[in-house]
Amino acid sequence: MDREAFLARVGEYRAQGLRLALINVTTIMPAAAPVHGARPEAGGAATPEAGQVVPADDTPGDVFEVAWVFENDRDATLAKIREQVGPADVIPSVSAMFGAAFLYENEMRELFGLTVEGINLDLQGQLYKTATRVPFSHAAVKARLEALTGATAAPAGGQAAAQTPAKEARA
Amino acid sequence: MKRTVVPFGPQHPVLPEPLVLDLVLEDEKVVDAVPTIGYIHRGLEMMVERVEYSEMGFVAERICGICSFMHGMGYCVSLESIMNVEVPERARWLRVIWAEISRIQSHLLWLGLGADAFGFENLFMDCWRMREEILDIFEKTTGGRIIHSVNRIGGVKRDVSDSELAAILVKLEDLGRAFDRTAGVFANDPSIHHRLAGVGVLSATDARAVDAVGPMARASGVVMDTRLSGTSGYDQLDFEPVTETAGDCLARVVVRMREVRQSVDLVRQAIARMPKGEGLPLETRPRGNPAGETFTRLEQPRGEVLYYVKANGTKNLERFRARTPTFANIPAMIKLVKGCDLADVPNIILTIDPCISCTER
Repeated sequence: MDREAFLARVGEYRAQGLRLALINVTTIMPAAAPVHGARPEAGGAATPEAGQVVPADDTPGDVFEVAWVFENDRDATLAKIREQVGPADVIPSVSAMFGAAFLYENEMRELFGLTVEGINLDLQGQLYKTATRVPFSHAAVKARLEALTGATAAPAGGQAAAQTPAKEARA
Repeated sequence: MKRTVVPFGPQHPVLPEPLVLDLVLEDEKVVDAVPTIGYIHRGLEMMVERVEYSEMGFVAERICGICSFMHGMGYCVSLESIMNVEVPERARWLRVIWAEISRIQSHLLWLGLGADAFGFENLFMDCWRMREEILDIFEKTTGGRIIHSVNRIGGVKRDVSDSELAAILVKLEDLGRAFDRTAGVFANDPSIHHRLAGVGVLSATDARAVDAVGPMARASGVVMDTRLSGTSGYDQLDFEPVTETAGDCLARVVVRMREVRQSVDLVRQAIARMPKGEGLPLETRPRGNPAGETFTRLEQPRGEVLYYVKANGTKNLERFRARTPTFANIPAMIKLVKGCDLADVPNIILTIDPCISCTER
């Protein structure tokens, strides 16, 4: 994705007084086997097309469509930015311009394993707690509270947990 | 100063649902709040891969027990938009009526919970007694008190006779008058003012900066209501969004109280405008499988809900996403909690009307 152009466009929407309504991620090229035979009939969705991002090293991996949806409350219209990103792509955070974006950005990182750079409230794998195998066990809660008491700038879980991709944690 | 961490939830006497918030305190002041929304995450959105689109509406309804009607309606409206299905007029108005009754139900439930949170148990009982009457209306008209399952892609499953609608309106107007007495206590009781006025103030600028929605934004003076866009027939109804300017916990209570009365009025208008008679069409059956995508917005009791549905021509949708109002209001809640006293946290959290089962779909 063209980072500069993307951020400039988001900045324009902020200047126009638009509201961030949603950041949504959709898997468009599953690496796994088709689900119940649904994907091959998807009208070409499973086949890479021109302009579609394919992982550079040709290793199987999901490709996602990320949609940033902004809403104009004055005329109830939606403005959308769509980008196709691969697992190796770094997505710039829009949380500096839209304060609520941190929630969506932490979510897309934890549930889809995407890399988002510069989130203003980086929860480091602690929003859905995918970085912790049994997140509400006594030991996990105790460790989380201790981490918070020690350094509030770095939320619970610590760096080691934060760097564990969601997929590895699930595996 | 030494910092203490208080885990607020998932189990807490004041919480109706398992919100998880780690509060970092310096003395009695909250300096940081870290949210978690994974405690009851059920992965309902991912069920589209296994559940056919025609049955997914029943799953969507079960996202939340309080706004179940609106979730079912939002799903059906999305699919109707993708499949170009025209909903019969009477069905459209019945949806508006049920949606507004469900708003009254939700606000009464919340007002009761709010009263319980600040220690006013009689008000809690009063609000919930009135809510029971609403649930009776739902049971009589849809067959279900909480999960109604009357929405179908293309319309609604059941009709409500004109005489039954007239009786419902009489019941709602009686309930509205009884509610005025309760609302007077909320608005004038000094102990409630002492507990809520000036607490958790969200300015209009801050509400816009954190993209707050629903009564949360309207209590800060932001005129924002998805019903204004005129979908589902609201363009034919006469109403102005209820707003307050104080932005504090009391303003959020007042907005919801006024919306109860407004919803009774909207039901009255909808009944007056809907086509009358027996045996009118209620459903247009869709043909084939959906292909395409859509974004649908509705004004739920807690604020704007946004659905994204992507269909690929098969029986299973490719993506179903519900961005619920509580999810959108979490940044505002965190902003309010930071800097407040620990004793005010329960009231601040409750006045956003958090719905955790919606948030952790």
